[in-house]
Amino acid sequence: MEATSTPRITCGYLDSYVGKNVIVVGKVVQLRGDEAIIDADGNITAHLHREAHLAAGSGVQIIGKVNPDLSIKVLSSIDLGQGIDYNIANTVVEVAHQNKALFAYDR
Amino acid sequence: MASFGGGGGGGYSRTNYGAQGGDDGGGFMGSQQGSQSAGGTKSYADDSLRPITIKQLVDCKEEYPGAELKIDGAPVTQVTVVGQVRSVNPQTTNTTYRLDDGTALIDVKKWVDTDKPEATPNFEPDTYVRVMGRIQTYGGKKHIGAHFIRAIEDFNEVNYHLLEATYVHLCLTKGMPGGPNSAAAGGNAGGGGGDGMFVDGGGGGDNSGLPSKLGACSRNAQTVFKFLNNTPGGNEGLHLNMIASGTGLSVRDVMAAGDDLLNNGMVYTTIDDETWAILDY
Repeated sequence: MEATSTPRITCGYLDSYVGKNVIVVGKVVQLRGDEAIIDADGNITAHLHREAHLAAGSGVQIIGKVNPDLSIKVLSSIDLGQGIDYNIANTVVEVAHQNKALFAYDR
Repeated sequence: MASFGGGGGGGYSRTNYGAQGGDDGGGFMGSQQGSQSAGGTKSYADDSLRPITIKQLVDCKEEYPGAELKIDGAPVTQVTVVGQVRSVNPQTTNTTYRLDDGTALIDVKKWVDTDKPEATPNFEPDTYVRVMGRIQTYGGKKHIGAHFIRAIEDFNEVNYHLLEATYVHLCLTKGMPGGPNSAAAGGNAGGGGGDGMFVDGGGGGDNSGLPSKLGACSRNAQTVFKFLNNTPGGNEGLHLNMIASGTGLSVRDVMAAGDDLLNNGMVYTTIDDETWAILDY
């Protein structure tokens, strides 16, 4: 239907996606007001919106826009709780980048 | 019943019409069966449930109107996808969910079961769901006619699904791992995945002429080494970025593969730390 995709990325891919919407799955390391540090194969600073309900130590999926300073402006977030296998989440990011035909439109 | 049962009925029909000289009663039997199964030209043998990403579904095009849809060359009718519900549009006869898995968007229609109308689930926006259904085209737009939708309890299922969809894609495009096609696919330097199964010591057919030490290296390292081996790069070797684009591996995987090869004494760095050449001795 719509030819839009939101690529799944980890910390290392941030600089390739400045100004674009991305999905990040990681663990909340620290919460500081409206800012969170999320570990997705490296720490990412996320600027939260008001409705975001995150818990330190829990898994989270954020969808947001990558800022020029490589932080992410969060548009939507889901708390994933415990029991998230981050290795698999990171592997999915690698696999997705190796098989772009299945996962992302070039924009 | 047996005479209508497709292949199974063959024996019975054959004895009846074989007396007229035909080997298998071809046309006559065909017309008789045709009246029983109207429009039964599709092979339901291929009706297996296939895990896909939504982008695969959006991208696939029928060769001509009414043709069966194919993804990676394999006919596909029943699919399973995982995605987040972006919007819900309940109507009297069906509910349409807009599903987003990060690769693309698609509409999923679930028909209301008149016997138990309360069975149509109403998901909160952004809930991850698993859908199983049949691809349908209506007015030139594809959607999934859902047999089944449920919310995903364990988020890891999302990742499993994406890996499974990739696995099926790779099996169909490059052959099963260890199968007859994999050696050929793995032998293509720059083919990307590097699906080949390698026996330690380099017994594999496409390893001929390569150092036996390669068997001890990771699969990515083997791919990178073969790429280096098959690409004329002169004495300066090849840079990280060239290898990454040539092999389809990520920059990080190539770095790891380069380290692996370095540690095994297969390559050496040339003009900088990210440029490797094969160590011949």
